[in-house]
Amino acid sequence: MNLWPKNRHATTVAAVAAGLAVALGAAACGSSGSGTSTTSSGTPASAKQTIVFASAGLGTEGTATKAAIAGFEKAHPNITVNLLPLSSSSTSAQQQEQNYFVAGSATPDVVYTDVTWPAADVKAGWLANLSSFSPNTSAFFPGQMSTGEINGGVYAIPWFINAEGIYYRTDLIKSPPTSASQLVSDAQSAMAADPSLKEGLAFEGDTYEGAVTAFQSFGGQISLSDLKKGIDTPANVTALTFMYNAIHTNKISPSAVTAWQEPQVQSAWLSGQTPFALNWPYIYQLSEASGSPVAGKTGWIPFPSSTPQTSLGGDDLAINAKSTHKAAAWEFIQYLTSDSVQDARAISAGDPPSVKSAYNSTLYAAAPYYKQEQAVYNAVVSRPVASNYAQISTQLQNMIASVLSGSATPSAALATAAPTVKALADGASG
Amino acid sequence: MSAVSAAGAAVTRPNRRGSRYDGGLVARKTGFFGLLAIFVVVSLFPFYWIVITSLKTPAQIEKGTTSLLPSGVTFSNYSNVLTQQDFIRPLLNSIVIAASVTVISVILASLAGYALARTQIRAKTPILGFLLLGAFFPLLAMVGPLFILYSHIHFLNTYQGLIIVDMIYTLPLATWLLTSYFSQIPKELEEAAIVDGLTRVKALYKVIMPVAMPGVFTVTILAFILAWNDFAFALSFNQEPAYTTAPVAIVNLGQSQNQVFYNLIDAAVVIISVPIALIVIFAQRRIISGLTAGALK
Amino acid sequence: MTTKQERSAAPAALTRPPAPGRRRRKGPSLVSQDRRLGTWLVAPAVIVLLAIIAYPLIYNVWNSFHHVDYQNPPVGTFAGLSNYKLLFTNPLPDLQFLPALEHTVGFTIVSVVLETVIGIAIAVALSKPFRGRGVVRAAMFIPWAVPTVVSAELWKTMFDPQNGFVNYILKTLDLPGASTDWLTGNQWTAWTGLLIADAWRNTPFMAIVLLAGLQVIPSDVYEAARIDGANAWKTFWRITMPLLMPALSVALIFRTLSSFMIFDVVYIMTHGGPVGPGGQETTNVLANLDYGAFITNSDFGYGGAISVSMIIIALMIAAIYVRVFRTQQGQPT
Repeated sequence: MNLWPKNRHATTVAAVAAGLAVALGAAACGSSGSGTSTTSSGTPASAKQTIVFASAGLGTEGTATKAAIAGFEKAHPNITVNLLPLSSSSTSAQQQEQNYFVAGSATPDVVYTDVTWPAADVKAGWLANLSSFSPNTSAFFPGQMSTGEINGGVYAIPWFINAEGIYYRTDLIKSPPTSASQLVSDAQSAMAADPSLKEGLAFEGDTYEGAVTAFQSFGGQISLSDLKKGIDTPANVTALTFMYNAIHTNKISPSAVTAWQEPQVQSAWLSGQTPFALNWPYIYQLSEASGSPVAGKTGWIPFPSSTPQTSLGGDDLAINAKSTHKAAAWEFIQYLTSDSVQDARAISAGDPPSVKSAYNSTLYAAAPYYKQEQAVYNAVVSRPVASNYAQISTQLQNMIASVLSGSATPSAALATAAPTVKALADGASG
Repeated sequence: MSAVSAAGAAVTRPNRRGSRYDGGLVARKTGFFGLLAIFVVVSLFPFYWIVITSLKTPAQIEKGTTSLLPSGVTFSNYSNVLTQQDFIRPLLNSIVIAASVTVISVILASLAGYALARTQIRAKTPILGFLLLGAFFPLLAMVGPLFILYSHIHFLNTYQGLIIVDMIYTLPLATWLLTSYFSQIPKELEEAAIVDGLTRVKALYKVIMPVAMPGVFTVTILAFILAWNDFAFALSFNQEPAYTTAPVAIVNLGQSQNQVFYNLIDAAVVIISVPIALIVIFAQRRIISGLTAGALK
Repeated sequence: MTTKQERSAAPAALTRPPAPGRRRRKGPSLVSQDRRLGTWLVAPAVIVLLAIIAYPLIYNVWNSFHHVDYQNPPVGTFAGLSNYKLLFTNPLPDLQFLPALEHTVGFTIVSVVLETVIGIAIAVALSKPFRGRGVVRAAMFIPWAVPTVVSAELWKTMFDPQNGFVNYILKTLDLPGASTDWLTGNQWTAWTGLLIADAWRNTPFMAIVLLAGLQVIPSDVYEAARIDGANAWKTFWRITMPLLMPALSVALIFRTLSSFMIFDVVYIMTHGGPVGPGGQETTNVLANLDYGAFITNSDFGYGGAISVSMIIIALMIAAIYVRVFRTQQGQPT
C-alpha cells in the first residue's frame, strides 16, 4: 500500500488551521503590549505587597537566601518576598531571566545578575535606574561597583564578590611565589619531589567564560579601553604564553585542562593532587571543612604576574524596569547588603561580602580565612562592562582555546582576534 | 519460524559440500550473538557507571577513574536526594505530565494514523509534512514566543502548560509511526469487520488496534520517554518548586554556582529511571502478548 | 469519479458499487463520507500541533525580517533581508551559517548511516526469539532513561583525558591513543566523541522502531522463502528489507532530522570547539548557532533567520526522502 499519495489539494482542515494560526498570532502580537510605560511612583514601600525575587542557588546558598528572606519579612511585616528559583547554572539562569524581560513581565521585581550581565540588560532597557534611591556606592569594592554604574546611572548593586586567585599548598610550597617563573619552578620541584602529585598547576581551560577569567587572572589586560586599543599587547602575549607553556613546555598542567571547568579544578585541588590551582573563594571554605585532605594547608594569593591582578566575579542585585514595587524592592536590596546579613551569608554559604564594612571582627571570628582573602580582593579587576560583552567574550574564549590546543601561537592568535574585538568594543556602550 | 533458523534449516539439507555449511551457521549465530552482546554492554555501561558513581562519596569521585568496580558503597546520596533535596515533588510532576502527554498523544495519533492510512482525505502529504514541521521546529526558537504567550494566558507554572507543549515531542513521531504500522495491516481484516456490520471507528478499536498492539505499545513507550526527557520547556516555563520537573530538578540539585555534585545527580538519575523501567516492563508485556495474539495464521 | 488510486486507498468494501437491483443511496457519496470521517479523525492532532507552533512560527518569521536585537535597540524596525544576508556575511566566525551547515550535514550523514546499519542489524537479531531476548529489549531503553543533559555531561567526563574512563580502558588494555585529548585535541577526535555519545543514545531508537515494523511481517512469508531455498542473505535483501521499508522510512526521516537539529550533546561536550587559528569553531552546529543568536547575543532577528533557514532545509530533506521512498515503493498496490 502506498504510504505516499500524490494528491496535494488543501482540505477544509488545512484552511481552518491556517485561519486559526493567523488569529492566534494576531491575538498574541496584539496583547504583548510593548509600548506601555511604567509609572515612576509605583507602590510605596509601606504598603502591603508581595515582591518576587529571582535568584539561583540551592544547597547552602539557597538556605542562606531563604534565611535572609525570613529575616527581611520579620523586619518588614507588610512585605512578602516570594522566591523564584532560577537554574543553578548561570547560563540557564540568564536565559530564564531573559524570557521574563522579553515578555515585558512586571515580575520578578528583584533579580540577581552575574557581574557581566547588567551592561547588556541596561542597553535593552530591562533594569531600573536606582539613582533616585541614592545608593551608597562607596560602600562597595570599586571594581564590582563599576559593573553596575552604566551611562551615569546606577543599575545594579553588588551582592557578593568573587575573585580568582592562585591556591597553593602551604606544606609543599614554603613561601608563596613572587613571580610567574618562580611559580613554575616551584611547581616543577614539587612534582619531582612527590610523584603522587598529578600536576603542578590546575586551571580552567575549557572553551567557556572561565577561560576569560583565567586569562585575566594570569595577567591578561582586557578592560574596555584595552580592547579598543587592541589586544595584541606584550602583556597579553605574556599571559597567553604562560598558559600555553604550562601545558606544552613546562608541563606543569596536563592537556586535560583544555576541558576543565571549576568542578574539575576543584577535584584536582581537594583530592590533594596539585600544589597550585586557580579558582574562586568557595574553594577556601571547602578546603577548610573538616575531613578535607588539604585542611590547614591552604594559602591564596593573586597570580604573581608583573602587575598582580585577580579577575572579578560575583553577583549583583537589580530591579526590573517594569516592576511596580520598586520601593519595596529597594528595601529588600538594602537589607541584603547590610553588614549582618552579608556576614551571615559569608559564614554559611561561603559567599564573600561585597560590602567593605562587612569584613569585621564578627566575620573573622567565625571564618578566619576571610582575613587572608583580603589581598586577593584588593587586586580585583573587572571584565569589560560592555553591552555586547557576551560577543566579546566568545571571541576571547575562542582565541584562548586556539592557543591552548596549539593551533595558533599567542601573538598570532591575538593579532587575528584584535580587529574583531576592537570593532565590537568600539560598538559597545558601557 | 524466523529468517535465520529457516535459512539454517534450508542449508543443512544434504548437498555435495557436506558439512561445511554447518560451520557457516555457527559463524552466523556467533556473529549475531556477538553483536548483541557488544550492543548490550555498550548500552548498559554508562548506566552502570552512573550507578557506581551514585554509590560513591564526593571524595571518592574526586579521585577520578581508578577502577571499573565500585570503590566502596554508600547510600547517603540516595537518602540525601530523597529527603533533603525536594526531589519527590518534581518526580511526581514528571510522572503526571509525561503520563498525560502519553495518553493524549497515543489517542490522537491513533485516530490521525488511521485517517492517514485508511481514508481518502485529500491532504495527506501536507498533513504529514506539517507534522514534520512540528517535530523539527528548532526548540530555542519556540521557547521565547511560547513564554510570551503563556505569560499572558497564565499557563506558566502549571501542569497544562507543559502537557500541551510537550506534545510537540510526541504527536508527530507517534502519528507517523502509527500511520506506517496501520498501513501494513492487511485490509481484509477491516473489510471483514465492516461486512460483519461494525462501524469504521469500532473496527479501528476492535480489530485494527489489537493487531497493531506491538506498534501501539512501542509508540507508548517512546512517547512517555520523549515527554519525560523534556528539559528546555520545563526550564523556562515551570520554575516554581511545586511544578518543576525531574530533569530540571536533577540538573539543579547537582549544581551550585561552581560545583557539580555528580554523586547526587547520578543518584537522582537512578531514582527517576524506576518509573521509566516500570513503563517499559508494562508495555513490553503487551508487545509480546500482542505478538502472539496478532500473528496471522 | 474516484480515481483508481483513491479507490485503492480505502478498504474495498467501502468503494464497491452497490449490488445490482438495489436503490442508489441518496445523500453524500461513500467517498466523501469516508473523507469526512478521515478529516474528523485527523483534526484533533492537527489542531493541537497548530496551537503549539502557530505563534512561534509567525514570531520567528516576523522577527527574521525585522531588527530585533536587544543589544542594539530600538527593537522592531523593518530590516528587509538583512538578517538573511548576515547569515553569509557575519564577521564573527562563530556566528556564520555555512560552516555550521557543513558540520551539521556531515555529522548527520555519518551518524544516520552508522545508526541505521547497526539499528537494522540489532532489530533483525532481536526479531527471532531466544533466551534472554526480553532482557536485551529492555536494555535498549536504558540510554533513554537518562536525560540528555546528564548523559552529555557523563560522556564528557568519560572522555576526560586524565581522569576519564575511555583513556583508562585504553591504558589498561595497552591500546594506542590512551592519552588522546578527545574533545579538545583536534576536530576529528572531537567528532568521534560526539558521534559515540550520539550513537549510544540513538541507535536503540532505530532498533526499536524497526523491530516493531519487523514484527508485523507475517511468518508465512519467511516460510515460503525457506521452501524456495533462499539463504539468509537473500532472505534479508529480497524479503525483509522491502517489508521493512515503511518503518525504515519513518525511522530514517526522524533520525535524520533529529541529527540535523542536534544541540545538547555538542553544547555540553565541546561547546563548538576545538577552535581553529582564525577563531572558527570546528564542531559548531546549526542549533548551537541558534543558541548563540538567541541567548548569547539576544538577537531574535538573526535567530529568527537562522531558525527559518533550518526549517526550510529540514523540509527540503524531508521532501527528498518522500521522493526516494515513493519511487522505492513503486505503484500503489
